[in-house]
Amino acid sequence: MNYFQLFNIEVSFDVDIQELSSSYQTLQKTVHPDKFAHSSEQEQRLAVQKSAQINDAYQTLKNPLQRAEYILVQRGVEMPNEQHSFQDTSFLMRQMELREMLEDVKFSSDVDAALADAQTVLSNECTQLSQLMRTQISENNAASNLAACDNLRKLKFYQKLNVEVDRLEDSLFGD
Amino acid sequence: MALLQIAEPGQSTVPHEHRLAAGIDLGTTNSLIASVQSGSASTLSDDQGRDILPSIVSYQADNVLVGQTAQALSIEDPENTVTSAKRLIGRSLHDIQSKYPSLPYNFCGDENHPEIMTRQGAVNPVQVSAEILKSLNARAQAALGGDLTGVVITVPAHFDDAQRQSTKDAAKLAGVSVLRLLNEPTAAAVAYGLDSGQEGVIAVYDLGGGTFDISILRLNKGVFEVLATGGDSALGGDDFDVALVDYLIEQAGLVRPLSPSLERQLMQQACFAKEQLTAKEQVEITILLDDNSNWQTSLSKAQLNVLIGPLVNKTLRACRRTLKDAEIGIDEVIEVVMVGGSTRVPLVRTEVEKHFNKTPLTSIDPDKVVAIGAAIQADVLVGNKPDSEMLLLDVTPLSLGLETMGGLVEKVIPRNTTIPVAKAQEFTTFKDGQTAMAVHVLQGERELVDDCRSLARFELRGIPAMTAGAAHIRVTFKVDADGLLSVSAMEKSSGVESSIEVKPSFGLDDNQISQMIKDSMSNAADDMQARMLKEQQVEASRVIESVQAALLADSKLLTTDEIAAIENAIKLLAQVSQGQEVKAIENALDAVNDSTAIFAERRMDSSISQALAGQAVDKM
Repeated sequence: MNYFQLFNIEVSFDVDIQELSSSYQTLQKTVHPDKFAHSSEQEQRLAVQKSAQINDAYQTLKNPLQRAEYILVQRGVEMPNEQHSFQDTSFLMRQMELREMLEDVKFSSDVDAALADAQTVLSNECTQLSQLMRTQISENNAASNLAACDNLRKLKFYQKLNVEVDRLEDSLFGD
Repeated sequence: MALLQIAEPGQSTVPHEHRLAAGIDLGTTNSLIASVQSGSASTLSDDQGRDILPSIVSYQADNVLVGQTAQALSIEDPENTVTSAKRLIGRSLHDIQSKYPSLPYNFCGDENHPEIMTRQGAVNPVQVSAEILKSLNARAQAALGGDLTGVVITVPAHFDDAQRQSTKDAAKLAGVSVLRLLNEPTAAAVAYGLDSGQEGVIAVYDLGGGTFDISILRLNKGVFEVLATGGDSALGGDDFDVALVDYLIEQAGLVRPLSPSLERQLMQQACFAKEQLTAKEQVEITILLDDNSNWQTSLSKAQLNVLIGPLVNKTLRACRRTLKDAEIGIDEVIEVVMVGGSTRVPLVRTEVEKHFNKTPLTSIDPDKVVAIGAAIQADVLVGNKPDSEMLLLDVTPLSLGLETMGGLVEKVIPRNTTIPVAKAQEFTTFKDGQTAMAVHVLQGERELVDDCRSLARFELRGIPAMTAGAAHIRVTFKVDADGLLSVSAMEKSSGVESSIEVKPSFGLDDNQISQMIKDSMSNAADDMQARMLKEQQVEASRVIESVQAALLADSKLLTTDEIAAIENAIKLLAQVSQGQEVKAIENALDAVNDSTAIFAERRMDSSISQALAGQAVDKM
C-alpha cells in the first residue's frame, strides 16, 4: 500500500492538509500502540510498526518537498543524491547572490527591514519554483518528471537558505 | 430481535472487571501516585493522609527509609540519605560532578555507572528510584485493595534515551509493570484538556524541582497532538535554591568546601525562604554554623528576583524556540498551563504571563496535575475505558543520529518527530576491503560528536570485502511509544545482519537488572522462578483473552483450517499455563503467536481501511 492509498486519496501534488490531518487522526485512533496496551505482545509490536508507518506517511504527504519527492520516486524517477554536481550555472550564481544578500543583512542600518526584505525575496522565488514544479508533476510525462526533479533539487537549496535565515534571526535577536 | 454486537477493532469484546491502574509522578523533589476511582482521578495518600512523598531515600543500618522519615535524616546523615536521585539517573559521573559539584555523597562505581557508597553498600540511582516506586506501589495496593495491573510513569519531556531507559529499569526493579512512559507536560495537558474540553493550541510550562519542559500541543476531539517540545533537563527550582545558597555563602563570608550537613542545611533554608517569599515580601534566615554559632540575615522578594531572574529568562528563551519549532505564533496559543511546584514562585508567574500575554491556568494543584493526567491515561491504557476517544501523539525531544567520518553527527530522526517512528539511512564503507563497521548512536542537536550525548555503540561484522563506497549498510532507528530507541544495522547486498548487542553507554544492561532483582530477593532462585512463572501466566491469559475476542469479531478473515490451527494452539496454551513449567508456557505462547501472526496483520489492515471508509460515510 503506498502512502496515498493508505490515506485513501488520489496521487496528486495537491493535498487538502485539513483532510489529511483528520484522516491521520482517525488512522492513529485505530492503530496507535496505546489502543493495544492491554493486548498481546504480538499485537503491540504490530501496532508500533503500523503506527510508525502512518506517522511516516503523514509527515511525507504533509510536507510539500517530501510529497513531491515521494511522487517522483514512485514514478520511477531517479533522484540524484545531494552531492551530485549541479549543472545549472545561472541558478548557482543566483544562490551565491542570495547568500551574500543574507550576509549583508547584519551590516544594514535597519536590520529588521533588511531581514524582512530578504525573506520576501526568498519566499517569492520559492513560490515561483513550487508552482512550476507543481505543473510539471501534474503533466506526468518523462520530460516533465525530470524537470520537476530538477526544480525539487533547486527548492532544497532554498530550504537550506531558510535555515540560514532562522539562524541569522536567532543571532540577531538574542537567542 | 436481538442486535448482534460488533466490537471496536483492537478492543476486547470479553467483558472484564475493572482493572487497577495508577499514574506515578516520579519527581525530582516530590513523588505522587494517583488513580481513577468511580470515574474521577485523584491522588492517593498514605496512612497519615499525606499525598506528597518526598523523593528521598535513606539507607540505615537495618532498613531503608523513604519519604518524610528519610527527609528527617537528610541533615544529620547526608552521606546515606539520597535526595533528588532523578538528577543523577542515566548520567555519567562527570555529568553529575560538573553540574552539582557540592553533593555530599561518596561516589563509587565507574565513570559511566556512578554509584553512591552508603552504609548498606553501593547503590545506583536506579535502585534509589526503585525504592520510591516500591513505596508508592505499596501505598496504591493498600488504597485500592489489590495488585496494580500496570502504571503510567511520567518523565520530563526533555529526558534523553538513557534517562528514560533508567526510569523504566527502576520500575522493573520495583516489580511494577509499566504501561507507558508519559511526558510530564503531556500528562498535565490531559488533566486540563479533559476538564475543559477545549480545542486549539495550548502551551504547557512545566518547571519542576530539577527539570524544565515547555510543550506546545494541539487539542482536537480527544486527540492531544504534541507539536514541539523543548526545555532543559537540568534546570529547575533546585537551581533557584542553589543561586540563593551561593548568595548566602557570600553574605555570611563562608568559604567552600563546607561540611555536608551545613550544605544541606543551607539548601533547606534557601528552599524554605523561597517558599515563604511566595506570600511574604521579606523573610529572616538563620543558619547554625559548624562552630554552633548562629548567623542571621534577611532576604527580600526583590533580592530573590534578582538572583533567579537569569534562570527565569532562560526558560522564556526555550519557550520562544519551541514555539518556532512548532511553527506556531504566540497569538495562536489559547491557553498556558502551569505545572510543577516551582511555578508557584511569583516571578515565574508574572514573567510567563507577560511572555504569552495571557493569564496562565493554575486551577489544578501544580504539584498534583501530572500524576492526575497520568492516572487518566493509565485507566485508558489498562482497558477500563473501551469507548475513550482519547489519543496522545507525542514526539522525540532530541534528534537522534550516527557518527560519521570526521566526528560529525548525521541526523536520522530529527527532534519533534511524532512517535512511534522507524527511519532507515544508508551508509557505506570508507576503505577498500573493510569488513566491519562501528556504529555510534548519538542524541542531541549539535553537529559534532563531542557535543552530543553518546547513547550506544555496536559493531556490524561480516560485511563482504568490497571497494570503498560499494557496500550499502542500512541502519534502522526505531523509537517506540515510550520514546525508547532501538537500532539495527544490515548490509544490503549480502543481507548480513549484525547480531546487535546495543551496549548502553549509561545506565544498566539487562543482565545487571536481573542480577539486582535476584539480589533483592531473600530466597533468590525460588522467588525469581515464581516471578517469571507469574509473568508468563499473565501474558498467557492476556493472549488467550485477546485472541478469543479477535476470533469472535473477525473470524471471517480466516479460512477454516487457519481457525482450527489457532484454536488448537490456544487450547494447548490454556492447558499449559495452569502448570508450573515456565519454558512450556513460553513455547505454547510462541506457538499461538506463530499461528496468529497473519491473522493479527490482516485484522490491523482491515481496521485501517474500515476506519477511513467510516470517515467517508460520515462526510456524506
